[in-house]
Amino acid sequence: MKIRKYVRILPGSVTVDGTPLAVDAAGADLLAELYRSFVKDYPKFFKMDVLCKLGVVATELLVMGEADRFTPREDRAVLLFSHSGPLCNDRNYQKTIAEDDFFPSPSLFVYTLANIVTGEIAIRNKYEGDTTAFELASFEPAPFVAAVRDAFEDRVTRSAICGWAEAVDASHFAAVMMLVDQDAAEGLDFTPENVEKIQSNQA
Amino acid sequence: MTEVKKVIMCAGNCLTPLGFTTEENFRAVAAGATGVRHHEGTFGLPEPFAASLFDRAAIARQAAAVIPGSDRGSNLFETLLILSIQDAVQRAGIDPASPRVAFVISSIKGNVEAIGEDESSVPVSVSAVRVASFFGNPNEPLVVSNACISGLTALIHARRMLQDGRYDHVVVAGAEVQSRFIISGFQCLKAVSPDPCKPFDAARCGLNPGEAAATMVVSAVDRVPEDAWELVDGATRNDANHISGPSRTGEGSYKTLRYVLAHCSTDELAFVNVHGTSTLYNDEMESIALQRAGLLDVPVNALKGVYGHTMGAAGILESLLSMQAVDAGVVLATRGFETLGVSYPVNVSNQNRTTGKRAFIKLLSGFGGCNAAMLFRKGGAR
Amino acid sequence: MEELIKNIKLQIIEALNLEGMTPDQIDDNAPLFGDGLGLDSIDVLELIVLIEKNYGIRLTSPAEGKKVFQSVAVMADYVAKNRKK
Repeated sequence: MKIRKYVRILPGSVTVDGTPLAVDAAGADLLAELYRSFVKDYPKFFKMDVLCKLGVVATELLVMGEADRFTPREDRAVLLFSHSGPLCNDRNYQKTIAEDDFFPSPSLFVYTLANIVTGEIAIRNKYEGDTTAFELASFEPAPFVAAVRDAFEDRVTRSAICGWAEAVDASHFAAVMMLVDQDAAEGLDFTPENVEKIQSNQA
Repeated sequence: MTEVKKVIMCAGNCLTPLGFTTEENFRAVAAGATGVRHHEGTFGLPEPFAASLFDRAAIARQAAAVIPGSDRGSNLFETLLILSIQDAVQRAGIDPASPRVAFVISSIKGNVEAIGEDESSVPVSVSAVRVASFFGNPNEPLVVSNACISGLTALIHARRMLQDGRYDHVVVAGAEVQSRFIISGFQCLKAVSPDPCKPFDAARCGLNPGEAAATMVVSAVDRVPEDAWELVDGATRNDANHISGPSRTGEGSYKTLRYVLAHCSTDELAFVNVHGTSTLYNDEMESIALQRAGLLDVPVNALKGVYGHTMGAAGILESLLSMQAVDAGVVLATRGFETLGVSYPVNVSNQNRTTGKRAFIKLLSGFGGCNAAMLFRKGGAR
Repeated sequence: MEELIKNIKLQIIEALNLEGMTPDQIDDNAPLFGDGLGLDSIDVLELIVLIEKNYGIRLTSPAEGKKVFQSVAVMADYVAKNRKK
């Protein structure tokens, strides 16, 4: 099992396979810049919450240029981990249900479900395989690698978009995501040690 | 290469407004009870709704009676998990503090009630750590938050954790506490019915939120004993279509059914216990998926008329009750159903029926386009 | 009416996060759903909230909403006749 490609997105920096990507924007504007540079033609992007935007642009950086890019496929899983799931959306939705100003927002509510980000990635890329949102107390490489390897027990799954995505608010977020492939010959071995290196930008 | 282990249900607990054990719950369901009541003004919500909610005082009394010491969970969500897990691990006779035991917790919104007050206790991962440490478990608990299919995804994942033999048991526990937050959300999506829900009925008009906790202790074995329930296999699939509307072709649900049907013939199935939320789109979608999977002749049933939609607990709760039903030779009634209101003639009834078969499929689907199915079979023989 | 139409367009752009769009780019008579702006089922629900919040009009079902939200012109006409604030 190999890590075919990996990406790290922080409010002030983006790296792909360990190489910094030149970006102009930072914080809240960074994800919009990545969208305009790489995703380009998916206006639904602007309706998403920050966690989904983060997941969608990170995935774009992992899979752009792949053959048969938008052909529906069941053999690719999307397995995302976080500490607090959609906590920032919980806060936003909560504001719409105050006693004296009660206008609950359907679109904000939908994004309070932790797995919507995996769904948005699946919809954008036509991934019809396993999609699961996990939460762990912290991003420890060992339980992450173990859980992803377990998910490969699905007899159809051959590759997975997986990693850690966390959003505190519109300008504070972090994603460490990778494309893990069961059949690839090239790439880093999918081990806790290598995930640790990717996470600390030393791979 | 280590031998791949089989996975069985070792013990379980259902904690609902209808009872605090699996047996109490099964008796209540088989006798036609329901926890769904009409609510007006509950949680300060302007619109009425029907829901199955706990009596908070009864839970507090139960916690005081059976949880030793003062640590009975810092909130209702954690208390429900602790109560449910405690009963299940006692019945299983396992030591939850063993490093050979792992915890998997399933919930959609956990302790979201605390939003705006104590945000650090909102993440389900925080509750999971507290609950696992209550039982002295040394492993990092894994949380699955996969919308309405969470409980089934948790069971599917737990089974895989046991297959390579690195754990002996996994405690899979799910719980959902209803609140102003969740119910207003489903109401603004026009998905909540003010009346008791009517799965697959022509007059269905939405779901009833439900509260419950449920735990399944699952164990690795080399051979499945005759009297044990095996978690044969399961899968999660995405429609890749829309974040809140189910696929018009039942794509993901169909794929999960096809996945588990590779392990059994449709003749073996006592029933398919479907999601059956009673929303217009869900039940219609499920009828399409069942038709595509060749399951129109197999009895189907849904328990949402009894418990409402118990969200993160549903997959575990409904699987445990389905096991009890097969053990008793019963296909439980679909409460609320009267006149078929979906495109395909699914085999549904509002009466308990008898069965002599020993396997069933549990099916769920949820927001984010996700769907899950698992095949359960009694005994090692096939 | 022109003022109301413009306000509704601005409210739609804001509520539905139609990034980079200006009121002039929305045709008064173009369908909002399907081929027009390509809005979806959650957008219908969001528009139901919008007209309740801004104009005090309560629609009970998405089906009712779809009739009112045919186009901005239809929506403005409905709002003008039924508004409570």
